[in-house]
Amino acid sequence: MDSSTQLLTIMILLLALVVGIVATQFARRRRGGFDFREIQAYTSMPMLVGAAIEANRPLHLSPGSAGLAGNSTLLALASAELFFQVSQRSAISNVSPILTVSDSTAIPLGHDTLRRAYQSRNLVERYRRGNVRWYPSGTRSLAFAAALTATMGDDNVGANFMVGSFGPELALIADAAYRRNQPLIAASDQLEGQAVAFAVSDSPLIGEEIFAAGAYLGNESPQVGSVIAQDVLRWLLIAAIVIAAVLSFSKGG
Amino acid sequence: MMGRRLLTIPAAAIAVGFGLITLAGLLIGNDLGVLSTLVNYFAVRQITDILLQLVVITVAVTVLIGLLNLITVHFGRIRQRKGGWGYSVVLLISTLGVIILTILERANVLRGSPSITTILLENVQVSIESALAGLLLFALVYGAFRTLRHRLSGWGVLFTLALLIILVAALPLPGFQLLSNVRDWLMNVPVSAGARGILLGIALATVVAGVRVLTGQDRSYRE
Repeated sequence: MDSSTQLLTIMILLLALVVGIVATQFARRRRGGFDFREIQAYTSMPMLVGAAIEANRPLHLSPGSAGLAGNSTLLALASAELFFQVSQRSAISNVSPILTVSDSTAIPLGHDTLRRAYQSRNLVERYRRGNVRWYPSGTRSLAFAAALTATMGDDNVGANFMVGSFGPELALIADAAYRRNQPLIAASDQLEGQAVAFAVSDSPLIGEEIFAAGAYLGNESPQVGSVIAQDVLRWLLIAAIVIAAVLSFSKGG
Repeated sequence: MMGRRLLTIPAAAIAVGFGLITLAGLLIGNDLGVLSTLVNYFAVRQITDILLQLVVITVAVTVLIGLLNLITVHFGRIRQRKGGWGYSVVLLISTLGVIILTILERANVLRGSPSITTILLENVQVSIESALAGLLLFALVYGAFRTLRHRLSGWGVLFTLALLIILVAALPLPGFQLLSNVRDWLMNVPVSAGARGILLGIALATVVAGVRVLTGQDRSYRE
């Protein structure tokens, strides 16, 4: 990495830090909360959880191949936040959510997420350690997809939340969900997986919407601040792209 | 409860501290003036290397945790006679069998080329995955069909139309030059722009989430 790239990276991180801190304080002091644009997937999640509780069926959560200590670390944490919110809502149910992972580093994260969700409701005795399951992904994640389709049938799950890192194998999971009449919400950081998620899920999440779960479902100020910071940075990026395009065009002309 | 919350403070401090040290060690080179001097003076890069080695070891340990998880979960399913417990029996026998075979191979008790574990991998695992890959096409096309049937909107029609153009234009048939040109334009302009937009959005969200984790504002530090 040359020195100008290093400097640019440090500046972007500092900008994100400053905007994040200001946005979090802004969110903390503002009364009445924020009106974010509607994301159908987040609107339907509480209803899907409610339906699963009423039917006494478990929820199926999976971050796919996202795990800690790699490129997908932050995606794994974002998925864990979504799963925390969903599990917290379903903690009153008699059946615990099932969390399936293919990256072994996601196992401790999965245990921690479910345990904290039950702990936040003072129902930690209902937490089942065996509900975090590791299925090795194989060479192309297809073995993982096959294992998930079996889990969906054997455990008669009420709804599937496949949010993390998936490839085209998501189509097999979605097909199994459809055949068993199980709702599916899917999103992936991989373009192939995202395309499949858009086509097959009942309410797809797209791109960075995965990272907004805490703000939409939990409404806590650090999470709300993050979403505002994302929006501010997005507008700054758009401005930078437009200015760079205009400058390039004027030089060329 | 209070004691547990107090315990999160040193845990968060350690995580944030090591995170910042690793970031500085990986990011700051030798040409950034005072920052480079500080990094060199405190041997931050050497500390970062040690931390990264620790991460590699920890990741290796999590594979063992995974194996333990696999055995525990499926043993529990067999004990409770849960639906599909027969598959769990097959899985446990296969797992133990492969572990034993690998140990015997490493101990030079079983010899031969290719090794039995390689034959098992190539003839069982890869074959089954290839068969599943063949099913993917049908699952994808059926998924697209369901999209059009259930979400009959302008976007759904556009999605299916683009899918059909790309699939038909990929056929090696004569007289499809116009469709092929349309496909190339679709792939190079709108698809490429959309993909970059999605990736930029994910990158921005990742930066913001990373900063939140590094400043100790993530939920795992608070509870």
